[in-house]
Amino acid sequence: MLLEVANLDVRYGRNHAVKGLNLSVAADELVTVLGSNGAGKTSLLRAIQGLTPCASGTIRFAGEDITRLSPPERLRRNLVLVPEGRQIVIGLTVHENLQMGAYCRADAAVQQDVDAIYDRFPNLAARRKMPASVLSGGEQQMLAIGRALLARPKLMMLDEPSLGLSPLLVERLFELIAGLRNEGLAILLVEQNTHMALEVASRGLVMELGGVVLEGAADLLRDDERLAAAYLGGH
Amino acid sequence: MSDSTDIAVARMRLRAPVIAVVVTLVMIALGIALGGKVIAHQVVSGLLLGSIYMTVAVAFTLTIGVLNFLNFTIPTLFMLTGMAAWGLLSGGYLTLAGRGAWLVALAVGVVAAVAASLLVERFTFRYLKMKHGDATEHAIPLVSSLGFLIIFENLVLIAMGSDSQRFAVPFRADLHVAGIVVGVPQLVSCAMAVAVVAALSFVLKRTKIGRALRTIAENPDTASLLGVDVGRVVPVVFILTGLLSGVAGALFTVNYGDVSPFMGDNVGTKAIAAMVLGGVGSIWGAIAGGLVVGLAETLSIQFFGGDSVAMTVWGLVLVIIVLRPKGLFGVAAIGKGKM
Ligand SMILES: Nc1ncnc2c1ncn2[C@@H]1O[C@H](COP(=O)(O)OP(=O)(O)O)[C@@H](O)[C@H]1O
Ligand SMILES: [Mg+2]
Repeated sequence: MLLEVANLDVRYGRNHAVKGLNLSVAADELVTVLGSNGAGKTSLLRAIQGLTPCASGTIRFAGEDITRLSPPERLRRNLVLVPEGRQIVIGLTVHENLQMGAYCRADAAVQQDVDAIYDRFPNLAARRKMPASVLSGGEQQMLAIGRALLARPKLMMLDEPSLGLSPLLVERLFELIAGLRNEGLAILLVEQNTHMALEVASRGLVMELGGVVLEGAADLLRDDERLAAAYLGGH
Repeated sequence: MSDSTDIAVARMRLRAPVIAVVVTLVMIALGIALGGKVIAHQVVSGLLLGSIYMTVAVAFTLTIGVLNFLNFTIPTLFMLTGMAAWGLLSGGYLTLAGRGAWLVALAVGVVAAVAASLLVERFTFRYLKMKHGDATEHAIPLVSSLGFLIIFENLVLIAMGSDSQRFAVPFRADLHVAGIVVGVPQLVSCAMAVAVVAALSFVLKRTKIGRALRTIAENPDTASLLGVDVGRVVPVVFILTGLLSGVAGALFTVNYGDVSPFMGDNVGTKAIAAMVLGGVGSIWGAIAGGLVVGLAETLSIQFFGGDSVAMTVWGLVLVIIVLRPKGLFGVAAIGKGKM
């Protein structure tokens, strides 16, 4: 397994946001984590990246225990998060945002990889010198994904990438995600768009109040009425 | 924030340097045309003083921009440079350096300012981060930097006395340009202040560490997400702060020849006025604000006498922030694209 999370707990004071969670993602697998607002999905991804401390549990990545490593150290091991709300740096230009994506790299191929991102996203190429604040929501999501790709991910975690996008752009986004999966990238996808997420994923987990309430193959989950119940239930 | 205002902000940032240069030239020309040589001379002195304020104001604005706190130790770093240089020179520690002793003394003074700045970082930011998580969330950096201001000042006071001391620079040369006398040290100082600020601006705009600093300024969490080790980059801000304050202190010492444990207080206050006037968090604002405050000061002495300076400067600040609450070059929201 590329990523193995065992008994992970995340606490904010008395608030127990993730409770003894177990999760694994194989290389070149796309796993989706579903669940309503406040279920603990963002806390889970941030804890895996090291941005939020975990109270207990272990995280192994590519055969190594990374539980105690800092976020930059995890990034240098090619574990990359595309955060909720995209977190584009709007005071930087589009190009500078991409350069920040390669911040942890020191190899000579960065320029070439940036060019490859521009080839993949011509909209970004056309706006490379503009402040990132002029980008539309869809373009910002492309920038966030392009930026993450520049860290050469072995595993890319995406936190609700479809949030705030029009149906047409959501369609295009999921085509992009499926494309990345087909290129052999391992992906951990957090979504509220259950239908689309289960369409591209091979396996899925449903979180509720910090724990996993349902887990299984994507095509089985899709028809499971308990999935709908999890969204209606919650708190 | 709508797209159009963002583009307007970007355009304005491009235009700012041009405006600053044009305004300066127009003021000099106006000074000569309307007031003759006396006024023109005051304008030149004002620009020199302004270039020192500008350098200190940039130090203030950099710390606010990136770390989100008003670093009160900046005036002390300024003072330490002058006092350390004077102490070395008058104590006879630099006889080996011969005629260049004053330059060596000032260089060591700047190094002392950088070292002191790192000391402050060690005992405010890093310590707080270890103990309480994110230091920027607390008022503690502000208060502890004020504490350091008082402690450093009093240490110097105890060690070297409270008297104002003479720092003699064996170096005088005047240029006569269009009938105005301009001191070579003045010119060199202006050039150095501009060079230091331009270098900083280059670092922020064009280098990897500059991009990291701008990212931290906007959102430390995003920076960390992108692999910036925020704890390692923070000392860089303090080094730059020490360097800017130290260079300003050295230029002040060379040009005015007096050092005292309190020499930083007046310059610090004026630099804060300059920063507010130009727009908090904006480098170009600090530059414009520094020059405006310097000019206001010398012209105010010329027209209304020495006692009027504080009233003129702070009156100007009040008028400008009432007319433009974000300062001359202030950008919309704190934390967004402010450098
Ligand atoms: N920084 C934080 N401080 C305190 N509580 C938080 C913080 N972030 C999230 N929470 C709480 O943790 C729980 C899980 O939130 P989150 O991980 O954002 O869920 P999701 O991403 O599934 O909506 C919620 O109850 C939320 O209020
Ligand atoms: Mg979330």
